[in-house]
Amino acid sequence: MTRLSRWFAGPLGAIVLLVVLMSLAMIVAGTSPVDGFTALLVGALGGRNEIGETLVAATALLFPALGIALAFRAGLFNIGAEGQLLVGGLCAGALGNVLTLPGPLGITLMLLAGFIGGGAWGAIAGWMKARFGANEIIATLMLNFVAAYVALELVSGPLKGPLAAGAETAWLEPKYWLPTLLPGTRLSIALLVALALALFLQWVLARTVFGYDLRASGEAPEAARRSGINIARLTWIALTLSGAIAGLGGATIVTGELHRFNTQLSPGYGFTAIAVALVGDLQPLWICLAAFGFGMLESGGLAMQASAQVPKDAIHVIEGLIILVLAARRYVATRVEGGPV
Amino acid sequence: MSGLIATLVALTLIKSTPIIYAALGGVISERSGVINIGLEGMMAAGAFVAVTCAYATHSPALGLLAGIAAGAAVGYVLAVAATRYKVDQIVAGTGINLICAGGAAYGLVVIFDQPGASPQVQNLGSAYWLLIGAAFALAAALQWVLYRTPWGLRIRASGENPSAVVSAGLDPLALRVYAVVLSGAFAGLGGAFLSIGELNLYSDGMTAGRGFIALAAVIFGRWNPLGATAACVVFGFFEALQFVLQGQIAWLPANAMQALPYVAALVALAGVTGKVRAPAADGVPF
Repeated sequence: MTRLSRWFAGPLGAIVLLVVLMSLAMIVAGTSPVDGFTALLVGALGGRNEIGETLVAATALLFPALGIALAFRAGLFNIGAEGQLLVGGLCAGALGNVLTLPGPLGITLMLLAGFIGGGAWGAIAGWMKARFGANEIIATLMLNFVAAYVALELVSGPLKGPLAAGAETAWLEPKYWLPTLLPGTRLSIALLVALALALFLQWVLARTVFGYDLRASGEAPEAARRSGINIARLTWIALTLSGAIAGLGGATIVTGELHRFNTQLSPGYGFTAIAVALVGDLQPLWICLAAFGFGMLESGGLAMQASAQVPKDAIHVIEGLIILVLAARRYVATRVEGGPV
Repeated sequence: MSGLIATLVALTLIKSTPIIYAALGGVISERSGVINIGLEGMMAAGAFVAVTCAYATHSPALGLLAGIAAGAAVGYVLAVAATRYKVDQIVAGTGINLICAGGAAYGLVVIFDQPGASPQVQNLGSAYWLLIGAAFALAAALQWVLYRTPWGLRIRASGENPSAVVSAGLDPLALRVYAVVLSGAFAGLGGAFLSIGELNLYSDGMTAGRGFIALAAVIFGRWNPLGATAACVVFGFFEALQFVLQGQIAWLPANAMQALPYVAALVALAGVTGKVRAPAADGVPF
């Protein structure tokens, strides 16, 4: 019994909850769960193109989720990944429009621009936190709105493509497109970049002094401070890197998927990524798995909406519930194990 | 020019009101020891449910009540999570924001068959001026309750030193539940003001970070109701200014100007923190 309840407090519980709630959302929308789940699974994994789209979404989620996890491990809550994605994408797209370089070099520079742009955006919150002690949760969220309006201003005016209909830059030359990974789909080698980054971060967190300091300042800030770790410095480094990783993700969306910058670059990836990071237990390798699962929900959700008339937004409700349940999980788990309450 | 100033003053009052309600909710919650990151979601819930109820009953007054109730219900979820399950309050609040925004978007499709925005409903009409006045009156009342009544003292004590509340024979967790439910009700009222006071519909993303601006106002106002209200008026002023200037000065970048209230909140946040102190047990599960 205890073993069973422990499982229910963990991954099994999350999946059971997901299925039950999805069924409910489908019934309310007037679709039978069998039809709904069929549409979801076929939409996510039903063929080459579907699998490609699932992995595209997983990649787009993986970058910001890794960034969020990095900050979270340092005890910092970055809910500004949405804005950091946007700024990263904008920097990459704007640079790509003016470059005249060989393709691979141009792509590298664009990715670097995204990394730096997102990093700068994260650094604002990091600096505010380190210098003034300003709450990073509010700061990163406010910066999302600032990013959205500034990006809109720029691509409606100075950076707008000459032939663009909406708020977007000009198309990138094909030599600046990230190579396709799965022929016939939109999946680019950005997936490999993201996976490599996850491996690297796993190593950094587990095996380096920097990773140790980061975790120490997140888990026991007072002890970390007394052991000589410069918490203020670590705070802004963590938030800058967190933003940079999300910004890199934005750049890969531009070079790998959209082939130009568009203000609609992210349908809320930066927020879904919070759920991805938490479900992945803030461990980079588990986050890869979580990103795949949420990627399935993203791409399957669109298909479910189209063919079974279940609004895709139901998925965001469920993501929120998963976050809420996971927030309670640690307590339930200790209680089940008879630990201190 | 005087017409312009009158417009600016009126718009400032209108734009501050929803943030004031949410910020008052934030003050109550944080004074009791629970950080309410979910204010944004509670506002969205209030805004959406108010429209839905006004649509179904053709009564904006009932809509308003329903919006308050919806905010309180969401507040109860956070309250239980924070007291019974000792969750990380930031994480739980983030979850609540996703649930409410997603739930409203889902509801638009399922109830109105209209993604993006609800149909128009009858709104509160000129009665919304009453709600504007009420926001300021409530701020004053809450200031009095928190600092001059036994209940207020207990709420503040459970946010400063919950063990002392236990020693006094009271239950800080129960106090936190009341406070967070009330906080949700206030945020729901703020949301309802947005949807059926200022406007006459719900649209996706209409709360636009106001719940977080309210949290910044709580800090800027040093966790007291009148201070937070003053901060909200400042933020509301920048939102109004952005509207007024847009029509007047052609060379101003119209889109970037919309970032003004958020930049104001950022500056305020950087300007005061370090100089102010949060309730000692704010965000600490008990």
